[in-house]
Amino acid sequence: MHTRKISHLSSLWTILRKEVVDNARDRRTLTTMAVSIVIFPLLIFGLLWFLDKTVKEETDLVNSEALKLPVVGSEHAPNLMNWLGQNNIEVVDAPLDPEASIARGEHRVILLISRDYPEAFSKGTTAPLRLIHDSSITGLEKIGFNTVQGAIRNYGSQIGSMRLLSRGISPEVASPIRINISDIATPQARSGQFLTMMPYLMIMFIMVGGMYLAVDTTAGEREKGSLEPLLTQPVKRHIVLLAKLGATVVFSALTFLLVLTGLGLGLEYMPVDLISISVGAGKIATIFVACLPFVFAGCALMVLVASFTKSYKEAQSYLGMVMMVPTLPLMSLAFLSPEPAMSNMWVPALSQGMIIIETLKGETISFDLIALSMICSTVLAAALAWVAVKLYQRERILG
Amino acid sequence: MIEVSNLRKYFGSVKAVDGVSFSAHDGKITGLLGPNGAGKSTTLRILYTAFRPDAGTALIDKLDVTVDKLAVRSSIGVLTHGAGIYERLTARENIRYFGELHGMSGKELSLRIDELAELLDMSDFIGRRAKGFSQGQKTKVALARALVHNPKNVLLDEPTNGLDIMATRGLREVIQRLKSAGHCVLFSSHVMQEVAALCDEIVIIANGTVAASGSPEALRNDTGEQNLEDAFVKAIGSEEGLI
Repeated sequence: MHTRKISHLSSLWTILRKEVVDNARDRRTLTTMAVSIVIFPLLIFGLLWFLDKTVKEETDLVNSEALKLPVVGSEHAPNLMNWLGQNNIEVVDAPLDPEASIARGEHRVILLISRDYPEAFSKGTTAPLRLIHDSSITGLEKIGFNTVQGAIRNYGSQIGSMRLLSRGISPEVASPIRINISDIATPQARSGQFLTMMPYLMIMFIMVGGMYLAVDTTAGEREKGSLEPLLTQPVKRHIVLLAKLGATVVFSALTFLLVLTGLGLGLEYMPVDLISISVGAGKIATIFVACLPFVFAGCALMVLVASFTKSYKEAQSYLGMVMMVPTLPLMSLAFLSPEPAMSNMWVPALSQGMIIIETLKGETISFDLIALSMICSTVLAAALAWVAVKLYQRERILG
Repeated sequence: MIEVSNLRKYFGSVKAVDGVSFSAHDGKITGLLGPNGAGKSTTLRILYTAFRPDAGTALIDKLDVTVDKLAVRSSIGVLTHGAGIYERLTARENIRYFGELHGMSGKELSLRIDELAELLDMSDFIGRRAKGFSQGQKTKVALARALVHNPKNVLLDEPTNGLDIMATRGLREVIQRLKSAGHCVLFSSHVMQEVAALCDEIVIIANGTVAASGSPEALRNDTGEQNLEDAFVKAIGSEEGLI
């Protein structure tokens, strides 16, 4: 019957260790982690494989098989028809009602040559052509339209050049500017376009990884009636909360690491030619460390919300919504594709999103910007943890 | 030694505890008896530092429960209402967790858990995970958890709730042993027979105040009733809520 001296640190460690052991035995927690390492890569690579296949088909389509183009009034422009033939576009008979046929989806593109065409052409004025298509069609089906349009434009500019030459004028007069395009994007960076969705998924998994713990160690513990006995132990309440937050961070960080590893392994072994990115240990370590402050902030947010909910169910439904919060800043990644800068790297979630994308692309971000991101997210995490501690001090925590 | 003086705790307009005073001595079993909602649990919750009183003082071994919270928590063992234990931990791990929070470790802790398992007759389920435990088994784990650091003062909130007859008998035996080892035992109950059978001192609480207190004999004499049950009813003023 003597009182023992107990340090805060050893109490913190005892609670943290217990929560980790307790939750490691929880099937839900383990399922989340299993999903993160198996489903995540499958999801990503399923998508990449599909894109890869699409692009290949697109190339094949353009290169080999002749594109069938229904033409109304082909007899008015025999030269153009020849030109189209040379460009691997086969002219076929048009249906009776071209517009309805396009609307019904029987054809993707139909060319109309009016009766005025030959006259205008031989007079040297602008000859009208009409191309019917449905602009709401996207993807592969769009290729036909673009190919036909391109072929006719080329024909037009060739004719134009010849007319200028026949009048003794250099065709260059009519084209004052020529744009030479050089694309300096590395193959990795080009693949990075497909990786724009990575930040979403990773940040979601960071949140999901810690969610069950956040709920179980606060609202869940209260519902089971074990919170009150715990709070009558000789441990300060803020230590209890910080230990629980720590355990949440452990699982969240572990899930994140698993996702990164799954991604790395997937890119290494999955048969996707389009994506020439490799994610080695170095990149994984960079992303993991740079995003750790966000893991803290996300977990603190979840523990905070779970602290004032009354039941497991309530906490779960709130957290479902809370999980969406960090994905909001990521929206701008899709719409604006910002470059890392002092003006945006302080935003939590967004800055981590940019770090993930740039690192995967193989580009380096200056250390200042990474530090800014890490500091701001740490400050946010500390603020959220502080509020959670304050909430935990209230008597109402016992329900 | 627990000394409570003029304790008050209001929740909005509800006067849960409204001027409760009593003391519980070492080597004695003190019972808080009263109908449901009388203020027993709230009084205990103030004593084990979960709630802060609006007025009055509560001392445990001369330590103020609102000031020396950690020292108070070290000197008490608490069986809370409902006795929530961790289902994914074994009985032993549940007890060890609280022992460690009290600064115990290693062989000292293991031996203490063995001792409690023996005392509470837990040996056949001590190594099993708590999921699926009966209410009696859960209560035993929670009780062992409360006693692991051998606290001088033991606070039990409705300890016999949900226990069958055998388990209740076992619990009584444990409480008697704690008494003879010199502990101060304070428990709440709404079961008259239980309190009458065990307690040296009875504090009858109704509507947030102490209606009567003293030894069973003193209570009988004060109310002029020969039967203890009639004495209770007379002290409380109604039969409502008692079993």
